Amino acid sequence: MPPTTKNSVSNGFPVHLAALGKDYGHFPALKSLDLVVSPGISLGFLGPNGAGKSTTIKIMTNLIRPTRGQASLFGVDARREPTRALARVGAVIETPEFYGYLSPLETLAYAGRLRGMARTDIRARSEAVLKEVRMGDWADHRIQEFSKGMKQRLAIAQALLHEPDLLILDEPTSGLDPRGMAEIRDLIKSLKGKGRTIFMSSHLLGEVQEVCDEVALLNHGELLVKGSVRDLSRGSGAATFQATFLRPPSEEDLAALGSVQGVQRLKRAGDGSVDFQIMGGEEAQAEILAAMVRRGLRVTTYRPLGSPLEQLYLDRIQESDRI
Amino acid sequence: MIKDDVSQILTVATYEVRKYLRSRRLLGMLILLGIIIALILGLPPALGAKYPSEPNSFVATFATFTGILVILGGVLFAADALVSEHEKRTGYFLFPNPVRREVLVLGKLVASLLTSAAVLTLYYLVATVAALAITGATTWEIGLSYAYALAYMCAVVGVAYLLSSLLKSTVAATVLTFGLFFLIFTILGALLFNAGKVDPWFIPSSASGIISDVLVRPTDGQGPFRQFVPDATTSLLVFAAYFLAGSFLAILLFRRRELSS
Repeated sequence: MPPTTKNSVSNGFPVHLAALGKDYGHFPALKSLDLVVSPGISLGFLGPNGAGKSTTIKIMTNLIRPTRGQASLFGVDARREPTRALARVGAVIETPEFYGYLSPLETLAYAGRLRGMARTDIRARSEAVLKEVRMGDWADHRIQEFSKGMKQRLAIAQALLHEPDLLILDEPTSGLDPRGMAEIRDLIKSLKGKGRTIFMSSHLLGEVQEVCDEVALLNHGELLVKGSVRDLSRGSGAATFQATFLRPPSEEDLAALGSVQGVQRLKRAGDGSVDFQIMGGEEAQAEILAAMVRRGLRVTTYRPLGSPLEQLYLDRIQESDRI
Repeated sequence: MIKDDVSQILTVATYEVRKYLRSRRLLGMLILLGIIIALILGLPPALGAKYPSEPNSFVATFATFTGILVILGGVLFAADALVSEHEKRTGYFLFPNPVRREVLVLGKLVASLLTSAAVLTLYYLVATVAALAITGATTWEIGLSYAYALAYMCAVVGVAYLLSSLLKSTVAATVLTFGLFFLIFTILGALLFNAGKVDPWFIPSSASGIISDVLVRPTDGQGPFRQFVPDATTSLLVFAAYFLAGSFLAILLFRRRELSS
């Protein structure tokens, strides 16, 4: 990570947060966050409720002021020069409300005109983005008739309208049904493929794992860990695996498997299944499977319970809460 | 890529006016306007009374209700303009755009002034045409009364914007704007003048007396409560001060206000 001196903030990273902090009265919602997102990276911004995710995003989009530190977008301070900082940014923050008396086309025209887009571009892009979020059939309807999910789709459409270089998405699939969530995930992945930088907060770890290259984990206003999804998944501590057998293993089998290196704990899970808590990553996981086979156990399935990222998340959050 | 501020102000103003048109507030105001005009023009013949023969006296009847229309204009077209972006969460859509908060306030202000002015213009237009049709003449004092009404309107809108930037709910901003101009300022002006023996030249409700006074000289000093009306220059300066101070403070407060709910 680059140093976070005042001078270094003038670089052109899509996102550069330097010692960023926000207090509400005496409560520090965000303590001192240093974070850099490189061009073309999609970063998942994770953390439990109250961790400081929304506070960070609101500072980045000039909805609130930082108490200390600086948030720069493409090297421009979002507080001092918000219009310049936000020019290349599209944002969805929470589920925004729209003006009920406007239609999606009119709403997009409003946003486009504020951004100085030409009328022909606004029309063409509006139709394209509404089609992308599957709102084409509702383009001329008043928004006051819309559900939360439809507003969320429109929010994503307005964020994409001007083809921004940086997308800031706060819970982008909030309010959507499972099909809608999958569509938006696919849309975000396609944007990633086009080289856009994405800064996305989410509670859905599976979603982040599917969409993002990197994750940053926040709790109590502090950054706990940041790294690539792959590295963090590999480097996570204990993982829980479940093995299902054709015939339930004996107590002797369990005792033998419990002594295999890497097994921290095991317990019967019913239906002939056994849950293993394993330390040591993929090597240990493979060794335990081999030990089962060596003992002549007929394994029908052997799968992780929860994603490695989920495990990492829970471990780090619990650790942070203890401190 | 980013248009200049003037262009953004016009864009914001355009969409705000569209809001007033589509939210039926303007329609409601026009219906009220129609009722007032119908009563002023319809009641005298219905009661067997005659219209005033002088154009100034004739339009003075209309001018009696101008203050109420101006206040209602401030309530309907200004009081919730800023606070609603926070309360209704539309700010989450609007604020992350590359547009300065002061530009948003100015755009909304332009829309509020234009819409309120359109209502007043229509009202005075009807009054002038009716005066011409019934008395056979118009006077320049009618135009002056209209100009004073516009100036008073600016003061009301400026204060409404200040309240809108200060308060947390649209209802509070609306009620306070109405109460302030309809009751508090009026009561305060009367009490200061009658009980306190102070000329309340600095109260906009007192200054708004010039809207009628320019048409018909008031019968001074009669009744339990006399109303003090400053001269036209003082009144216009008072209106300007309220408008400028209200708008300026509204911009400052709106710039500082955070969208954190």
